[in-house]
Amino acid sequence: METVKVNSTIQNQKQASTSLYKILWRWHFYAGIIFAPFLIILSITGSIYLFKPQIEQVIYKDYYHVTPNGERVSATQQIEEVKKLYPNSVVTKYRPGESASRSSEVSITLKDKSLTIFINPYTGKKMGELDNEDRIMDKIVDFHGELMAGTLGDRIVELAACWTIVLIITGLYLWFPKKKQSLSGVVIPRLTKGKQILRRDLHAVPAFWITAGMLFLVMTGLPWSGFWGSHFQTIATNSGAGYPPSIWSGSTPASTIKTKDIAKVPWAAENLDAPASKIQGFIPLSIDDVISIAKREGVHPSYSIYIPQEKEGVYTLSAFPPKAQDEVTMHIDQYTGAVLADYRYDNYGLIGKIVAWGITLHKGTQFGLINQLVSLLICLGIILVAISGFYLWWKRKPKKELGVPKAPSIKNMKPFLVLMIVLGILFPLVGLSLIIVWVLDWFIIQRIPAMKSFLNA
Amino acid sequence: MKKYVCFFFAVICSIFLTACSGEEDAANLYKQEQPLELNIIIPESFSANHQETIMAVLIQDGKKVKGADYVHFEIWKQDGSVNYGMEEARDEENGTYSLRKSFDSEGLYFIKVHASNKGSIIMPQKQFIVGKLSESDISFLKKGAQIEDGSHENHH
Repeated sequence: METVKVNSTIQNQKQASTSLYKILWRWHFYAGIIFAPFLIILSITGSIYLFKPQIEQVIYKDYYHVTPNGERVSATQQIEEVKKLYPNSVVTKYRPGESASRSSEVSITLKDKSLTIFINPYTGKKMGELDNEDRIMDKIVDFHGELMAGTLGDRIVELAACWTIVLIITGLYLWFPKKKQSLSGVVIPRLTKGKQILRRDLHAVPAFWITAGMLFLVMTGLPWSGFWGSHFQTIATNSGAGYPPSIWSGSTPASTIKTKDIAKVPWAAENLDAPASKIQGFIPLSIDDVISIAKREGVHPSYSIYIPQEKEGVYTLSAFPPKAQDEVTMHIDQYTGAVLADYRYDNYGLIGKIVAWGITLHKGTQFGLINQLVSLLICLGIILVAISGFYLWWKRKPKKELGVPKAPSIKNMKPFLVLMIVLGILFPLVGLSLIIVWVLDWFIIQRIPAMKSFLNA
Repeated sequence: MKKYVCFFFAVICSIFLTACSGEEDAANLYKQEQPLELNIIIPESFSANHQETIMAVLIQDGKKVKGADYVHFEIWKQDGSVNYGMEEARDEENGTYSLRKSFDSEGLYFIKVHASNKGSIIMPQKQFIVGKLSESDISFLKKGAQIEDGSHENHH
């Protein structure tokens, strides 16, 4: 009696595990087919963007490099020069340059265009101008982050990133050795066991090797995404554990001077017959004063100054250098010069610190060249795994079918269902896509026999 | 397995709940500055051959600042004909700091207050008119030129 019972439970378990294997394979298959192309795009663009510092150093050499020569012209004069050259422009940003041999940059907007003007700080003369839309690296990162398709692209990339997590979890289960076997086929591909096994191993083994790196890139990239990322950042900031407000989300402090105490700009009023008392009042700090405040406060030299466009606005100093620990965001009252907020890496909450490190590691700047090379290796690995996965399917695909394992009813797969629901809640876009798949399946695929047999649904 | 999922769920829910209940200013949860605030009081009218009092009222953390680390006034005229340099202002003991000066020459003036207390340093600049503006003042204002500092030296 006892033995029979034991036997039947073993059989049940076996059955359950083969059908779990099948359902995970099925999900891995569909997610892979749909998102592999995006993973390849992300890996290629990411591999290029990793080397942004080196690439820009070469292509913008004539804009970046200056020969130190005597006294520097004041920032105010440099900006005056730009205003003279571009009379109807609005100056939005000034970047003094992090070293003696680096040009300074004045960012302006002119008729819907954002331009960067490079100035030689020793002569005060323009070295060149760059339309920000023409920056090749900006295009690459735009492709990487939103497929050059704005919000829709951003959501697609985010979806691909989230589904990569599903691919990783299901893939790990499929890879995990079922029997006690040697390391070959698990961590080393089996080269002599026939083509079919070699194809499987060329997908599964490298995938295992890059799993951690791939998961890392996904998890560190997600906080940048438009939907999940911005909500995540807001929640983290408001809980006190994230970035302080104004860096990613949350408001910027306002100037402490009351609007009525600020001097009116007479040249906008055309004539000075308007009450002279209006001209009396506080006037904004010069940018040179802002620079001396930056020096006094020990801001990392790669900072930029964002120039206030509103009366109640503030000067914002911001530096996001290669290493997370050097980051600064500082708000300065545009009239009094008081430091209203000074957020360094040390002032971030725990989640903020982790995200900051994640970002610099993801971009490959935190540890310089080694960091770039490791990340490049992961990207190349992802491309290999995506292509070999596709090839693996292509080779065993029957002519008229998709060759996808038959789906057991999901109701019998409670752990899997729970996992998908949890992922669907944690990543609402995954949840949304699951609902869409379910609706499609229920209303279309299940009702059209040809579809049903093709998809093996 | 189920236990873990439930636990995980509870953690996520609590994060959401605490985050959403925290509607107050998130800035209070992070490092805060105590910036000096001030008001510069300039006499309504100036009379010749008479010294006028210029005052600055300092406020920090909602309270008037008594015995600030330093409060210096720098006053000069747009055309450069008057330049009082940097002078220490008199502590009036109630958060008010003052300096008496004569303004016999009409035109556009600037005052820059250099003040510091408890780590906050400020250097606001205000423009004011004594009597009538000169031609030079008007063209200066119209040009919208950046205001030249009386001294390019930085204080302290």
